[in-house]
Amino acid sequence: MGLLLCLLAGISLFVGASPLHPGALLSDPQALQLLAVSRIPRTAAVLLTGAAMAAAGVIMQLLVRNKFVEPGTTGTNEAAMLGLLAVTLLTPAMPLFGKMLAASASALAGTALFILLARRIPPERPLLIPLAGLVYGGVLMACASFIAIQSDLLQYLGIWMSGEFSGILAGRYELLWLAGGLALLSYFAADQFTIAGLGRAVSLNLGLRYGQVLGFGIVTVSLVSALVIVTVGMLPFVGLVVPNLVSRIMGDNLGASLPVVAGTGAGLLLLCDILGRLLRYPYEIPAGTVFGLFGAAVFLYMLLGRRAHG
Amino acid sequence: MAHRKIVQLAASIAVALCGAAQAQGIAIDTARGVVELPGQPQKIVVLDAAAADTLEALQAPIAGVPSQLYAGHLQDLQDKAAPVGTLFEPDYEAIAMLAPDLIIAGGRSSARVAALAGIAPAIDMTIWGEDHIGQSLARLRSYGRLTGQEARAEDLEAAFTAKLERARAAVAGRGNAMILMTNGPKVSVYGAGSRFGWLHTALDLPEAVASVDAQTHGEAVSFEFIAAADPDWLIIIDRAAAIGQGNQAAAVTLDNALVAGTTAWRRQQVVYLDAASVYVAGGGIQAMTATLEEVLAGFAAGG
Amino acid sequence: MADRRILGLGCLLAAAAALFLFWGLRGPTAYILELRMVKLAGLLSVGAAVGVATVLLQTISRNRILTPAFMGFDALFLLLQTGLVAGLGIAGSSRIPPLAGFLLDAAVMMGAALLLFTSVLRRTRHDIQLMVLTGVVLGLMFRTITAFLQRLMDPSEFSIVQTRMFAQFGSIDREALVMALGLMMLAFCWLWRNHAVLDVAALGRDTARSLGVGHDRLQLKVLCIIAALVSVSTALAGPVAFLGLLVTSLAHSLMRTHRHALLLPAAAQISALILVAGQTVFERILRLQSTLAVVIEFCGGLLFMFLLTRGKIW
Repeated sequence: MGLLLCLLAGISLFVGASPLHPGALLSDPQALQLLAVSRIPRTAAVLLTGAAMAAAGVIMQLLVRNKFVEPGTTGTNEAAMLGLLAVTLLTPAMPLFGKMLAASASALAGTALFILLARRIPPERPLLIPLAGLVYGGVLMACASFIAIQSDLLQYLGIWMSGEFSGILAGRYELLWLAGGLALLSYFAADQFTIAGLGRAVSLNLGLRYGQVLGFGIVTVSLVSALVIVTVGMLPFVGLVVPNLVSRIMGDNLGASLPVVAGTGAGLLLLCDILGRLLRYPYEIPAGTVFGLFGAAVFLYMLLGRRAHG
Repeated sequence: MAHRKIVQLAASIAVALCGAAQAQGIAIDTARGVVELPGQPQKIVVLDAAAADTLEALQAPIAGVPSQLYAGHLQDLQDKAAPVGTLFEPDYEAIAMLAPDLIIAGGRSSARVAALAGIAPAIDMTIWGEDHIGQSLARLRSYGRLTGQEARAEDLEAAFTAKLERARAAVAGRGNAMILMTNGPKVSVYGAGSRFGWLHTALDLPEAVASVDAQTHGEAVSFEFIAAADPDWLIIIDRAAAIGQGNQAAAVTLDNALVAGTTAWRRQQVVYLDAASVYVAGGGIQAMTATLEEVLAGFAAGG
Repeated sequence: MADRRILGLGCLLAAAAALFLFWGLRGPTAYILELRMVKLAGLLSVGAAVGVATVLLQTISRNRILTPAFMGFDALFLLLQTGLVAGLGIAGSSRIPPLAGFLLDAAVMMGAALLLFTSVLRRTRHDIQLMVLTGVVLGLMFRTITAFLQRLMDPSEFSIVQTRMFAQFGSIDREALVMALGLMMLAFCWLWRNHAVLDVAALGRDTARSLGVGHDRLQLKVLCIIAALVSVSTALAGPVAFLGLLVTSLAHSLMRTHRHALLLPAAAQISALILVAGQTVFERILRLQSTLAVVIEFCGGLLFMFLLTRGKIW
């Protein structure tokens, strides 16, 4: 899988709207600049996003014990949107990286508020957490929609949130390294997550500090989705489909499956981004759209096709 | 309800039949064909920003407009006229209480024409299709006849046509251009066949990338695309611009190493268009004139 | 039936309806009253349909955080609307007669749902979880395509789509309303006769079968009813997103029972009550600024979270 990832990354470096030949790198300073400003950041951004989102997805699903939950369900996406609207309306001249940073901060604040709320939910009713998350997200979304409709920014918000890498340049994606780092960090807690996934009672019996693990997991997941959503937009499929695919094959032992999940997420997303750059060259199809179409087809085939035989 | 509709239908057929004979009947060219109106309306409710823009230029009295038109230059009009809901959902009760004798819908509100016809005659004045300028000027003439301001409409049209000629002369021989819509970190390019395409076709302004031409919608592109096309001029529409913000957000988006390498950026040949004029009230005579002025000013300053 | 909570809800609903009809009534009274009655009928029927459909879906999937919206109904509706505007342009899409638009929307959604239910359920040997997952995946796919189309649209085209992104009750077509009401009545009659069987089905496939309930056929029938209710109500007014989720939580918390004879009418009434109250606030206080969905999600959501922190959500 590592080899395949390297191959894809290599292809990704030489695919884009500006022509770039490997040979030109030695002689042409402009080619080097293109590589440094656009191609390398874009390739890195896709890999980091794919890996981090897939990892966040699998952790989320394990912790809330629900396979249909994707990482953004704790109000993170909506809080990020609120933050984006605020910086767009209040400080339009702020550089993009600053806007992304401010929106991430808002997403984190939104998530923190949710965690405070979630602590008031009786611990014996874990099912209420995703439910509360959905409703909480709905309330924040209502605020964001209200502002966006009043200022005619609904399409703006929609386009910023459409998951794609066409806008990635050096200086506009670096937050994703943080997301990647968090995903890596979560690997060290993988075993604890696996146990927490067995439920509160079992975890406590096994001597796990359930509340702490749950809190760490939720914080990781929401940090990752906050950072991804403000830099590239929403990619619901990566966090939902990849973990489900891998867990059907490898089961729910996170220690073993987390690297596979992250690698698969990174590879598939990069493949989709390369396709998105090529299918309507020189125009782009968002990686999220390509992932949506092919991901859904593959997922449904694996889900339903195998059942027909067995 | 059905009763009222039948009466109206009968009335409109009757008007259509004897319209030629009666001098005060006015035939109006709408987006759904010619509609005969019984006479000059005294109380008009307008549910479309472009129509409101042109009618205001004609100094026609407007009884009601949506509470938010998203266009700074129509603020006066909004302060004077009664609010009748929003561009997205008309307030039928408020309209009925105004008891207008004509409702002008278009664009976002055009799907509501059937429902609005239950209150008063409603016409759909959507501007749509290839000949953007031709249609907008046809609307201007229609509104002129409708409100008895033919002379003023002719003046406005003459002024606009003169400005169009000046703009055409100003852009001639100055190289090619690319129309971009910026949206936070992402950009789209629009060609000659799109909603903004009249900037290419009516001004004879060549496109930096000809293949966008065929599309009526925009295309998602990367900054590499802009760098590779290397346009001489960039015409920028900022999707994030709220009222009174100018082009700050768009400038931030374009301020990067790849765009910096283009001819347009190096020679500061970048024209920012006001969002309210180019799409919110796009097709209104004041809005189109303002857009032309921005093009003129941009081409005078650049290079 | 003579449950006091159900009766209380009925009284509240009647009061809300009266308030909606008569508050601030002036001007051409006959026209405005007629307008409000059509709106009220739309609100009540869509509310009841969404409430009942969500309870049914949660019953047969045995998943309390599921609404038909998650299974792609809203996403398909949005894709359809976006596709129409992208394909036919601004003028073409708004010239579709309202009734034809309603029939097209309802037929496409119902057709897609039935196709999904029958094909997936047969393939998976009535594994409802898999079917739900399939719906979620398809819904996400529709959403990504919709987002792509909206990405390419110019702002004028998008503004047309925006009018259809949120439920609106002001412009409901009367003929469509009559058709929708007829279909909903049929569905409600069937449910009324079969509420006891639903109670058994809620216990799960194996238990239900051992109790002599033809679970699989019942499941398919209920799914068809859900498809019909959701398709028709969405085609009539537009997507209401979170309403179902709020309603079932409140209905369960209020009734504290699994009996559908109580749950279904409670959900239907709570849902209609939220819509009528929301529309009243939206029209009379907010003066139609923003959308009804925003009002409901905000107020309903806050209410839900308040109850949640008080331990009142069951």
